[in-house]
Amino acid sequence: MKYILPLIFLSVIAYAVFRRVNVFAAYSRGVGNAIKFTLQLVPVLICVFIMCQLFEVSGLSAALTRALSPVFSALGVPQELTRLVLIKPFSGSGSLAFLTQVLSENGADSYISRCACVLYGSSETVFYIYAVYFARCRQKRRLIPVAIILFSTTLSTICACLLCRIM
Amino acid sequence: MIICSAALLITDPASFLPALSDGAKKGLDTAIALFVIYAVWMGLSEVAEESRLTARISALIKKPITAIFRTKDEAAAEDIAMNVSCNLLGIGGAATPYAVRAIDRLEKQQNHFAQNLLFIINATSIQLFPATVIAIRSSAGSSAAYDIALPSLLATAISTGCAVCLFLISERLSGRKKP
Repeated sequence: MKYILPLIFLSVIAYAVFRRVNVFAAYSRGVGNAIKFTLQLVPVLICVFIMCQLFEVSGLSAALTRALSPVFSALGVPQELTRLVLIKPFSGSGSLAFLTQVLSENGADSYISRCACVLYGSSETVFYIYAVYFARCRQKRRLIPVAIILFSTTLSTICACLLCRIM
Repeated sequence: MIICSAALLITDPASFLPALSDGAKKGLDTAIALFVIYAVWMGLSEVAEESRLTARISALIKKPITAIFRTKDEAAAEDIAMNVSCNLLGIGGAATPYAVRAIDRLEKQQNHFAQNLLFIINATSIQLFPATVIAIRSSAGSSAAYDIALPSLLATAISTGCAVCLFLISERLSGRKKP
C-alpha cells in the first residue's frame, strides 16, 4: 500500500516528461495557485476555528457530550466515543488527536479502538467542508443538504459500531 | 456563536478573549498545514493538466458525470471527475481544490443542484481505502491494522448512498428540477 503514492507521483511526472512538458515550471505554477487558493480560505478558516474554540471553552461541547452519550449508547455507540462522533464534523485535527488517544489508552486491537478507527475513516469534517466549498457562493443557506448529511453520518455511525461487533 | 458567548459570560468571562485568539491561531495553523498539502498536490495536478493527463482520465467518466450532475459545463465536469477519483484513492488533500473550482464554475450557471450533490458526496466521505487510519493504527501497534478496511468501506457506502438517495428525493419533492 505504501507504494501507491510514490507510484502516482512517478507516473504522472513520467507521462508529463514523455509529453515534453516542462515539469518544474508547471509544478511551481501549481504551487503558486495553491498560495492564492489558501489565501482565499484563510478568513473562513479563522472564523470557523474561533467559533469552534468558543464552543469548546464555553463548556457547551462537554455538556452536549454528557447529554448525548446515553442516547448514543442506546443506539450501540460506545460511550467513550461520543466525543469523537461530536467533534469529527467540526475538526479533523481535533478528532485525529482524540483517535490517537483512544488507540493508546485501549490498545490498538480492542473493540473500542477498531470502532473509533472505522468511525474516523468513514466520516468527514462536514462543517469545515461546507465553509471551504461555499466560501465564495452567494447562496449560503443550504439547510437541506446539511441536514441530510448529518442524518446519513449518524446512520453510518450506528452501522459502523454494529459492523465492528460482527466483523 | 451567540449562545457560546453567552454561556461563557456566565461560566468564565476571563477566558473569553483568550478563546477568541486561540481560535484564530488554530485557524491560521490549520491554513498553513493545509497550504503545505495543497502546494504538493496542486503542483502535481498542474503537471498532470499540462500533459493533458487529467483530460484523458476524466474523459472516461465525464459522460456519466454530466448526466448525474445535470451540467453541460465541460470544465466543471472535468473538475468533478478529478475530485471523485482523488476521493476514491483516499487523497483528500488533492480532492479539495478540484471541488472548490468545480463549485465556483457551477456558481456561474447557478447550478445549485450540482453544487449540493458534490458537497454531499464529499461530506459523506467516499473512500475505497482508509490509508491514514490504517497507518495510525499500525503505528499504535495493531496486529491486524487492515481489518478495519472492510467495515469502513461499508459504513461510507451506507452514508453516501443514503445521503444521495435522500437528496434526490428532496429535490423531487421540492420540484426545483434544473435542466
